[in-house]
Amino acid sequence: MASIRAFLNGRGFFETSDLVTIGLFSAMTKASTLILALAGGGMNPVTLLLRSAVHAALLMVLLAKVPKTGVLTLFNIVGSLLAFFLMGQAMLALPTIIVGTLAVELLVRALGGLEKHPGLGILAVAASELFSRAANIGLAYLGVREQPGLLVMVVVISAFSYLGILIGLAGGIRMIKELRHAGLIV
Amino acid sequence: MPALSFKFSESTTGFLKITPESRLILTLVASIFSLFFGQIVPLAILLLVTAVYISLEIRFRYIAIVYLFFAFIALTAVTFVWLLGFVFTVMKDQPLSMAVIPFMRLSISINTIIPLAFNSKLSELISTLNKLRLPGLIKLPLIITIRFIPTFINDLKQLRQAVRIRFRGVSGYGFWVLRPFLWSRVFFMPLVVRLIRSTDELALATELKGLSAETDFGAQRLIFGPTDKIVLALASIAVSVSFIIENLHAHG
Repeated sequence: MASIRAFLNGRGFFETSDLVTIGLFSAMTKASTLILALAGGGMNPVTLLLRSAVHAALLMVLLAKVPKTGVLTLFNIVGSLLAFFLMGQAMLALPTIIVGTLAVELLVRALGGLEKHPGLGILAVAASELFSRAANIGLAYLGVREQPGLLVMVVVISAFSYLGILIGLAGGIRMIKELRHAGLIV
Repeated sequence: MPALSFKFSESTTGFLKITPESRLILTLVASIFSLFFGQIVPLAILLLVTAVYISLEIRFRYIAIVYLFFAFIALTAVTFVWLLGFVFTVMKDQPLSMAVIPFMRLSISINTIIPLAFNSKLSELISTLNKLRLPGLIKLPLIITIRFIPTFINDLKQLRQAVRIRFRGVSGYGFWVLRPFLWSRVFFMPLVVRLIRSTDELALATELKGLSAETDFGAQRLIFGPTDKIVLALASIAVSVSFIIENLHAHG
């Protein structure tokens, strides 16, 4: 029991600086999402694309800065809990997202880990975002199950924002190179 | 969070004085039950109860603004999908009662989220998180996130102003669409550099202060006042009644 509690408190696995980094990246992601939503008026396709691109690029930088198993899962848990304060139902997709992201991270671990192969960060972000979109579509289906027609809208929007994620991945790779060059990431 | 909704700082009626914990419980219960009810009567009961709740908590003007905003978002989304060429056949072969159910679900969650989001102070929310006894691994990043969102919003605004000053004439809404690479250089790169700098500084400061995931941030017990007890009791009665009706319909 004591060892489980020690694990949940992050002893020997995550350092305080890692947790601070995750918190600040999560804050920046939410802040830029909010600013873009205010600027573009919600579900506008252009801002949707930009929002996911920024999200993916920031995630790539986070993984380059803290290359540990579990970072993505923690980031998603924090993001979902925060979304709960703003958007209620997002909480209900959390278990699926946790399982999905953890599976992706364990796969990355099995392939050699982020410390050895930083390029696996691309796979990790792409796959975990796919999982969280699938979970959200499932949740949306529960909400509109009497009218499956409305689901088309959710699927189209999710697919479009996933396109933004792919753009963001390309941007993230470029950015990590520049940040390494500047010595801001080891 | 008033920090996120700076325009809504005067949204509260101040009539119903309940703790953020109660608002949190109400939001969670309403989200779960509205999602799993499939009949119109139980959903109507929940809708009525949450409508009373939001009108006690939030001034009418702000409720109207929120609903208009959600309608606007929904309309943009529908237009977007329609533009992509999907034939929208929602109402086909369905009675009107079935067509309104998803919108009832949405309204129920809006009615409970808005009081939580607008009427809880940042400090109250952080102390609520302490009371929830989340594992330190989640609590520390979550508290940092909530604390820093307003700071970063401010940073983003300053960056945007800097870009506007430097690129007068080209830096309109379409700036990043027309010149994405320039946009990423002058807006996104400084943002990330700033983020990484503050990460390093804050991590150092946290460690020097002796804070870690194992720190007890002064965890307190959950305390519910008389108003909270009454509101939560009424809510559980409403949920039970609609649950019974839902199951009666399902079997009868």
